Amino acid sequence: MIALELDGVSKRFGGLQALSEISFRVEPGEVLGLIGPNGAGKSTLVACITGVLRIDAGIIRFQGSDVQNLPAHRRARQGISRTFQKVRLADQLTVYENVVAGLAGHWFANSTGWLRVLQPLSTHDATTMVGEVLERVGLADAAGTVVKSLPFGRRHFVEIARAIVAGPKLLLLDEPATGLTEPERERLARLVRDIAAQGCAIVLIEHDLELVGRLCDRVTVINHGRRIFSGTPTAAQNDPAVIEAYLGVNQLIGGRDDARD
Amino acid sequence: MRTFKTLALIAAAAAVMALPLSFGLFWINMIITALIFSLVVFSINLLTGLTGLLSFGQAGFVGIGAYTLGVLAKQGHPPLLAGLYGVLLAMACGFLLGLPAARLKGHYLAIGTLGFGILIYQLLTNSVDITRGPMGLLGIPTGGIDKQTWYLITLAVCLAVLAALAYMDRYSIVGVVLKMVRHDEIAARASGINVFAVKLIAFTISAGLAGLSGALFAAYARFLTPDLFNEQESFRYMMMAVVGGIGSPLGGIIASLMLTTIPEGLRVLGEDNLRLLVYGTMVLFVLWFLPSGIGGLVERLRK
Repeated sequence: MIALELDGVSKRFGGLQALSEISFRVEPGEVLGLIGPNGAGKSTLVACITGVLRIDAGIIRFQGSDVQNLPAHRRARQGISRTFQKVRLADQLTVYENVVAGLAGHWFANSTGWLRVLQPLSTHDATTMVGEVLERVGLADAAGTVVKSLPFGRRHFVEIARAIVAGPKLLLLDEPATGLTEPERERLARLVRDIAAQGCAIVLIEHDLELVGRLCDRVTVINHGRRIFSGTPTAAQNDPAVIEAYLGVNQLIGGRDDARD
Repeated sequence: MRTFKTLALIAAAAAVMALPLSFGLFWINMIITALIFSLVVFSINLLTGLTGLLSFGQAGFVGIGAYTLGVLAKQGHPPLLAGLYGVLLAMACGFLLGLPAARLKGHYLAIGTLGFGILIYQLLTNSVDITRGPMGLLGIPTGGIDKQTWYLITLAVCLAVLAALAYMDRYSIVGVVLKMVRHDEIAARASGINVFAVKLIAFTISAGLAGLSGALFAAYARFLTPDLFNEQESFRYMMMAVVGGIGSPLGGIIASLMLTTIPEGLRVLGEDNLRLLVYGTMVLFVLWFLPSGIGGLVERLRK
């Protein structure tokens, strides 16, 4: 079954056509790169898929069914998960508490959820699941640390932990590599492959083309809200339309040299 | 050593709590009233401190709880049942107010809840057939309990609510859910949390606590007038919550005791003119030097 399918998705903000007729699909276990210059509509697209924004036209299907009428929290409970371009965590809470919040949201999906959330923070379900996921993202040592006192790069991983703790079917990563150190980038790359290997479909929005090239099976390039390319990462980097719209001729050469270094 | 310290702390707390039993009528009266008020402060701690929703209409819920008990008890219903109805009616009103109010934010929410408080006050004043309006509801048949027992009842209720709030705030998963809603609604939604439902439930439970305070007050004072539940009272409750530290029920109970007893004490000492001055100075002092209230100070001393 196709994890995510967009068909002719359009979104308008007043006089600005933010998205027009975007179509693509992502299979389970696949990593799709979504790239495009700043303001191209990438984050708007994520907001539409997750239900923060309603679309004007087109269809978004998640695991075969139209999600148009589902509010954001219902989509999240069905398995659409995301991280944010600008990290959105509760700064005063610990890493553990932030991740537990991601787990608790999904408990509400069934009617006994309200009783389950009355349990102590240290309840067995929560400690095992959160413990496992913190181990996976490399934050096992920081469970009790207040997010505020965590280095910026590691906060991205807290967000990813919160996003995957309930076992999503689709994960949207909005520029997860921004501000990461080199070892952290490597950890991110391993983590993304690891999540995909478990059958989760991933949409990766990223400006770091080297990372996109390594992780993604296919990329979709959008500019001014339109899809201008769809294919393999290598083909994207040689496509004239992509070069012109996204990279600029000179920057492409610079960028590729950087990638080889 | 640690257990010894804990035991000593518990013994000291028990001694302090037992102290009012030896007080005269005037002071024990004051403390019972302050304890009843602090339930409203708890309702603000839950709504504003934990969930991040502002309400300037809490006195309305107190009034609903109080008048339901008063009217029903005078009609011959058992007071306990009448009190239960009062709490349930306050919760129902909290739920209904929450339906529109949970969609509002910041100033709009403050104005909306303020409007609700005024509405209830006007209803209590003008429904003369039921509430006797400004003439007041006299002789609510809940007598026969002495002050010491009343003190123990209100203290027990306050401690139970305090414990429940402390558990929610510090040790439970639901506390984290509420704080997530307060901190970032978009992130909460993306985690599968139904923000609207969480706010609605916070409104309902908060209204229930305020209603409980009202029912206790009606049963204790046995006399009600609508003026006890106007918007000035809502502001006073909010003031107590702020002085106590908006997220700290323990600070709230202390603030409620201070802001009730000190001004009244001054009046009794014949310094009635000083009353408002001292009251205002106290509030300013706390806001200036202790922006996170008495609760924040306690927290800092503990560290």
